[in-house]
Amino acid sequence: MSERDIDDALRQAASAPDAMDPALLERISGSIRSSLAPVRPLPSAWLLVSGLFLICAAVALAGAAHLGLYGIHKLSGTEGALIFPALAIFTWAAALLAVGQMMPGSPRRLSPPSLLACGGLGLVAIFASLFHDYRIADRFVPQGVACLVAGLLHAVPAGLASWLLLRRGFAVNPVAAGLATGTLASLAGVTMLELHCPNLEALHVMFWHTAVIPLSALAGALLARLFARRR
Amino acid sequence: MLSDADLGTLMARYQQGDSAAATALVHCLSPVLHRFFMVQCVSRRYADDLLQETWLRLHEVRQTYRPGEPVLPWLYALARHVRVDHYRRTRRVESREQQVEKLPEIPAGASRRTDRSPDLVELLAGLPESQREVVVMLKLSDMSLDEVARATSSSVGSVKQKAHRAYASLRQRLTGMGVSQVGPGDRHE
Repeated sequence: MSERDIDDALRQAASAPDAMDPALLERISGSIRSSLAPVRPLPSAWLLVSGLFLICAAVALAGAAHLGLYGIHKLSGTEGALIFPALAIFTWAAALLAVGQMMPGSPRRLSPPSLLACGGLGLVAIFASLFHDYRIADRFVPQGVACLVAGLLHAVPAGLASWLLLRRGFAVNPVAAGLATGTLASLAGVTMLELHCPNLEALHVMFWHTAVIPLSALAGALLARLFARRR
Repeated sequence: MLSDADLGTLMARYQQGDSAAATALVHCLSPVLHRFFMVQCVSRRYADDLLQETWLRLHEVRQTYRPGEPVLPWLYALARHVRVDHYRRTRRVESREQQVEKLPEIPAGASRRTDRSPDLVELLAGLPESQREVVVMLKLSDMSLDEVARATSSSVGSVKQKAHRAYASLRQRLTGMGVSQVGPGDRHE
């Protein structure tokens, strides 16, 4: 039996009239007509992605400027030239994914968990290749926790502003959308830390700075799940 | 069914508040959605409920359709969401319910005749849900692989794989039913 025969069998099966209740169609049409008002379609995906990217950049720059741009002054040219473009690419990809999650029927480029894993491990690999000071300082944990908290605190406004920008969209998978937005917001925090934090010990950067990403993504996913259940 | 360009035009008019376009869309897309739900559900009542829920949801989020984009992936993505949401809600409610008395059994044959379109439903009944929806979108709604991938939030490769597996099962099933070939006069062009 060829594929065409199966196609024909399916079409024949589907051609059997599935009589829809006219009253049901009328009821649906009536309820739609009763609340019909013009709506403005969402802006293009590129505009939204650019908006999200600018939000993250603005939060990171404003935060670092407020706390002091010590990190960027301590980084060498090569280190800066690798870290910031990598963060920019990761942020753009996360923004693209977050926008796609809020527009039903958008093309799927990558799943949010894959982006989180690939992006996070990619950043760790970049940090590992650039920083070779593997000593553990006495104040490893207090310094690390301070950086983690600062990163997460900067992810909050970035996440809120991103949600405001995307609020007219609709997530068919709220947890995935929350994960994508949380990942995006975390990158504002990580970028701020790279601009601000003068501690270039490999383990500090690899562990405490990148820890902002999974924590913020997880918070985004949990919040989205909570809101979806309440809806 | 209308072409995707025509559906796109109707969607744009619907977003502008045109009630004639809204009615035309309901009449044009409801049979497609109803068939989608019929092959996934057990009864017409559920399919009718899901259809109404889908239209309500679709109406609430109609701004998320972007003019120029294909309509069917957007529509099916929302329909899938409503189906999954409905299924979860029903399961939650059923898990809390305590049946105190057994309901009288309704003869299956009698309800089958009136509640379902047996041919398509029975033909696809043996397939897993994910394969069933791919077959309906790909072969009955004439969507492209890319459009089905958009609607199901999966990759084109995954859609191809599901369609391939579904066809292997359908081939076996049709051969078992004694349908070896469809006559040339029965072919639909």
